[in-house]
Amino acid sequence: MASSQHVLLSPAELAYLHASLSLTPPIRPDGRSPTQFRPLVAETGILPGTNGSARICFADGTEAIVGVKAEVERTAQRPGEETVFLEEGGGGDGDGDDDDDEEGETGAQGDRRKGEASWVEMTVEIPGLRDDDSGTAFLSAMLSEALLADGEFVKRLWINRRFHWKLYLDIILISPPLSYPLPLLSLTTHLALLSTRLPRLKSEGDEDPFFDDDWAAAPYLFPRSSSSSATAATNTTATKQPATATRPPITLLVMAFGNNIIFDPSKEELAVADVALAVSVTSSNSSSNSSGDGENDEAASAGGRSLRLLSIRTIDPPSRLTPPGVPNAANAAYGAAAALGTQKMLEARTAETEAVEGVWRAPRGGAKRMVLGALVQKTLERGGVVDEVLDALEGVDLG
Amino acid sequence: MASLKRSVDSDPFAANISSKVYVRSTKSGKVQKLVREVYLRQDIPCSSRLCGSCRESAPRDAAGRQTPFILSEAPAGTSVFPQGHYLVPDTNAFLTAMDLFEQSSAFYDVIVLQVVLEELRNRSLPLYNRLISLTKSEEKRFYVFFNEFRLETHIARQEGESVNDRNDRAVRKAVAWYGQHLTRTGAKKVPAVVMLSNDRDNLREAKKEGIPACSLAEYVKQLKDADTLLDMIPETEDQDTIKEKRPGEPLYPEYFTMSKMMTGVKSGLLHQGTFNVSPYNYLEGSIRVPAFPKPLLILGRENINRAIDGDLVVVEVLPKDQWKEPSTQVIEEEAITKNENPDAEETADIVSEKERKALQEEVRRTHSKTTEGHAQPTAKVVGVVKRNWRQYVGHIDQSSVSQSAQQGRKQDTVFVIPMDRKIPKIRLRTRQVAELVGKRILITIDAWDRSSRHPIGHFVRSLGELETKAAETEALLLEYDVQYRPFPKTVLDCLPKEGHDWKVPESTDDPGWRDREDLRHLLICSIDPVGCQDIDDALHSRALPNGNFEVGVHIADVSHFVKPNNAMDTEASIRGTTVYMVDKRIDMLPMLLGTDLCSLKPYVERYAFSVLWELSPDADIVNVRFTKSVIKSREAFSYEQAQLRVDDESQQDDLTKSIRTLMALSKKLKQKRLDAGALSLSSPEVKVQMESETSDPIDVKTKVLLDTMSLVEEFMLLANVSVARKIYEAFPQTAILRRHGAPPKTNFDELANQLRVKRGFELSVESSRALADSLDRCVDPAEPFFNTLVRIMATRCMMAAEYFCSGTQAYPEFRHYGLASEIYTHFTSPIRRYADLVAHRQLAAAIGYEAIHPAVRSRGRLEAVCKNINVRHRNAQLAGRASIAYYVGQALRGKATDEDGFVLKIFSNGFVVLVPRFGIEALIRLRDLADPEPAAEYDAETYTLRTSGSREVTVELFQKVRVRVTDQKDETTGKRGVKMELLSVY
Repeated sequence: MASSQHVLLSPAELAYLHASLSLTPPIRPDGRSPTQFRPLVAETGILPGTNGSARICFADGTEAIVGVKAEVERTAQRPGEETVFLEEGGGGDGDGDDDDDEEGETGAQGDRRKGEASWVEMTVEIPGLRDDDSGTAFLSAMLSEALLADGEFVKRLWINRRFHWKLYLDIILISPPLSYPLPLLSLTTHLALLSTRLPRLKSEGDEDPFFDDDWAAAPYLFPRSSSSSATAATNTTATKQPATATRPPITLLVMAFGNNIIFDPSKEELAVADVALAVSVTSSNSSSNSSGDGENDEAASAGGRSLRLLSIRTIDPPSRLTPPGVPNAANAAYGAAAALGTQKMLEARTAETEAVEGVWRAPRGGAKRMVLGALVQKTLERGGVVDEVLDALEGVDLG
Repeated sequence: MASLKRSVDSDPFAANISSKVYVRSTKSGKVQKLVREVYLRQDIPCSSRLCGSCRESAPRDAAGRQTPFILSEAPAGTSVFPQGHYLVPDTNAFLTAMDLFEQSSAFYDVIVLQVVLEELRNRSLPLYNRLISLTKSEEKRFYVFFNEFRLETHIARQEGESVNDRNDRAVRKAVAWYGQHLTRTGAKKVPAVVMLSNDRDNLREAKKEGIPACSLAEYVKQLKDADTLLDMIPETEDQDTIKEKRPGEPLYPEYFTMSKMMTGVKSGLLHQGTFNVSPYNYLEGSIRVPAFPKPLLILGRENINRAIDGDLVVVEVLPKDQWKEPSTQVIEEEAITKNENPDAEETADIVSEKERKALQEEVRRTHSKTTEGHAQPTAKVVGVVKRNWRQYVGHIDQSSVSQSAQQGRKQDTVFVIPMDRKIPKIRLRTRQVAELVGKRILITIDAWDRSSRHPIGHFVRSLGELETKAAETEALLLEYDVQYRPFPKTVLDCLPKEGHDWKVPESTDDPGWRDREDLRHLLICSIDPVGCQDIDDALHSRALPNGNFEVGVHIADVSHFVKPNNAMDTEASIRGTTVYMVDKRIDMLPMLLGTDLCSLKPYVERYAFSVLWELSPDADIVNVRFTKSVIKSREAFSYEQAQLRVDDESQQDDLTKSIRTLMALSKKLKQKRLDAGALSLSSPEVKVQMESETSDPIDVKTKVLLDTMSLVEEFMLLANVSVARKIYEAFPQTAILRRHGAPPKTNFDELANQLRVKRGFELSVESSRALADSLDRCVDPAEPFFNTLVRIMATRCMMAAEYFCSGTQAYPEFRHYGLASEIYTHFTSPIRRYADLVAHRQLAAAIGYEAIHPAVRSRGRLEAVCKNINVRHRNAQLAGRASIAYYVGQALRGKATDEDGFVLKIFSNGFVVLVPRFGIEALIRLRDLADPEPAAEYDAETYTLRTSGSREVTVELFQKVRVRVTDQKDETTGKRGVKMELLSVY
């Protein structure tokens, strides 16, 4: 869907809204603080047949479900890649617990695990829109870009040199698109991936994969940190820090009004935004894991996770297409020179006139670099919105 | 906002619905998460006859009947549970001691929990099938309780709980529920519900929860014949204690993981096949894999790596410098490992000193040879895909019994030597050595650890004294897996109610007559061996006005009595064939059908399935038709009677004339067949003559071939071919046919070489015709038997004929090599072969007599049937031959006869002699020639063995020798067998 949905507001209303959002501090129509999200209801595991699923429902009535299905797929062999079938010794007796040594493995065989973008297939469905609608395609591109941008995610799908998991993400908005659904879909996808589990691998090396038939033994795609997983007892570094494991990315919608930065816009707010950005962020502990323990502790005290920017997209704010207001000076109804012909009046509307206080004028031109920088910085702020959102999502019971 | 998940509070039926989640890996490599909803019920009965409440609530079928309750109201008690008890075994109990449950002295009133049954099916299909047949037997009172579906006994898996723990908990829960449930019945004597388990944790938990529970050993000790039963608790039970005592170093290399093997096999680095042990050398095995034209050799204990004959194994080819020639030496396990002590497991080395010596000989021989080209690829076993262990018949090795064991009742370890030479010695722990010595016993293998030289097994039951007829016959039946138990009641229920009084209905309006042709007026007769009771086939012929002949082959209409998919049909499809032993016949169908209602007895009307040809005087088929019919056989001849009648010029009645016509036609048919390249093969066949009263064998006769035999054979072949064409035309995908693959050329390499070297004959194997011709040329004018000898040896190079479903092969592959026929099936003996019965059903459908039954049309089903009957057919042949061999031995007992024999095979330390008079062959070792063992020189190029020293003889392949045949009890296999002594060389 297009971000530019028609909003039934008059130029005067638009101007009022814009003005109140530009105040310091801004006043939002629903009374939220700039960084406050709309309340939401979230749950996971709603589709028993999937590897992972989630549903999130925003207070405005938009609701999305995401299902994740995984399939074993043969990796196309590149010439020159030697496949080892019968490795003697089987590499370092990695028979610890298979649930949580994921990170350790990454370190040990970091160069071996490779991933490809084609291992993830994402479909987005918005009711009432064709699946090849440009808006839908853009949404899907943004969501998968966030997943694939740094190439870290697909590495998790690596089974061995010959096989990998192919992940099918089905993202469905089940309510009418009442507001731009990007944040909703992103959060739901995040939650679904958090709850995704893949059958436990029993085979070793480059053998044909062979899996444990016990679902309860299936490890999470994003291994749980110790707070929620009882089996992580052996991994001491994990037990020390409650929530530093790598999480799936989230994509947030951020707007700027003058110098104000506002998160999670409602439909009306988006309609008057100067700049709207989709910022994809991930939290990872890869750096903290490789560095010493002392630094880890610092990181933990300072908010727990290190955030990384994955991608930024500017969203064309719908405000650009809104009709401008007409200053009283030019308004015939207020006695502005009736002598001016209709022709003139039209010119007056479209002409680049000086901004008149209280008269709506659609924003023009791109975002200023300063503003962009501020937006990104605000997003990545430690202990800021992203942390808050991630903490909140972590609180969702995965079942 | 309401959750989309099914929540417990909102759903009034939530308590009744549960779900099961698991991962399934499909063959194609897909991995799926599966969620099954489980709907819990409260009307699954406990099936105890004591219980009134279950009787009220138990579901009824459409006719309002309830399944009868199984568990007895007054079950047997034990010393600990005098009030009576029901048993609830866990999976391990069944896995380790299924034989115990099959005992008739104890183990009644057993509750088999669904969770146990399912786990058992996943772990071992054969055990599962045995348990299922136990639950079907009425006298044992085994009841399958669907605990997972009953609300009260269903449990959900807890967080962090392993599947096994959960299942154990489910068992305990069910036991507890049964206990409470039975108390509520208010019966005077409430039976205890006892859990049987060998799992210590499970037993401990049960104790904690106050559930009556016993280990197998504890339980068995409470029974009366504890000692016998204790032996049947397998080795593995006390394994923990053994391990602690002796942390034996692994002797054998570890197996690869399953996935590693499968990957290797798929990528072509490893090979999968069935492991076969050489009958002459227990340290040499071979495995035929698709990737190589010749079988791979597996030499030595370490390379064989615990594989047992028949196992499906994965092997890795060894580097070329380790390739060897197949052994030319006879190595017998008994001779080499004679002095091993079953108790002391010498952990030092798997390859014992003596074995190593035997192998050294080999190596020296290979090295001394310059002909490197002869070396064959060798391989080593890296894993076992599927064990093909069955129950083995054997006897205790007397020498392994310690003196103290003869008296005491303490558990003792002995070796059991299986009757089948290809099976290694099995270590057995038993308390009843004294009773078992000198008996045929049935044992099973439990395990073969890496740290154990020999496999470990446990005792199942005793068949009786060695060399008693009953024990030996049963031993043979068990060895060849012949189903010899009497037909169960469900099968007998399928027989016609009239029994022996059944007759062809008089009125032709009867539904039995529908679409049947009345052929009662024809002069039909049957020709069979003497004393044949199950007469499958009858014949007739008559001249037609146009100068042609009408010939009819009438086959017993078994399919009229055996309807697809009923209990009788299922039983017959499992048995597959009737097995003929010397003194016994194991029927495929109940007696009533086989020898009476189906059998085409003379003077009575019988239903038949007729094939009617019009043949030209040159025996060309003018046309053929098939019809169901009613016939009345005029006479049942034996081959000899028929032959006499034909030969007797004075007999000029119509019946005799028609037999003469048939005879004339059959000779033309045979000539045509031979012209097409049909092989006439040979196997040494003999017949044991028995004293009619005591059925003791008194003499052995070689079979005489009569023209009448070939008469019947020719027309049966003709009928089979005609039927095969018809059913293939009607059902190109699912016709049941029989093929005989052309043998790979390499099979004949050795024989051809032997013939060339020894006699200068060329064996050409391009086609069956060429082979037949070259076999015809192999004639030694001085020795008439030589040709037969060559044919016997050629027969052994052939492939086995097999049944198959037409959709599985391309048309050119249908060919029957031996008969030189493009297409062939079996149609003419439905009383004794299941394949014929299927062919009957297909032919009936092909001629529009009846609608085709889905079971006869489903390709998967037919393939399974073919697979089974191929195995059964082979086993039946082997069992029959073994039976003859046994009786030949019995007939020779106490006599010594001097006979002529021929050298069939030569080794560097012995040779095999065939005595055609008795159809037996035996190995004469060098050490049997003279004492001390003469030195010998073996020339593999010319197949000559020259001995020197204590006795000087030269033995060549194909040579005629004079041997003294005596009987001798083979101290190792316990078989009475023939022993030959070389008297002289011609």
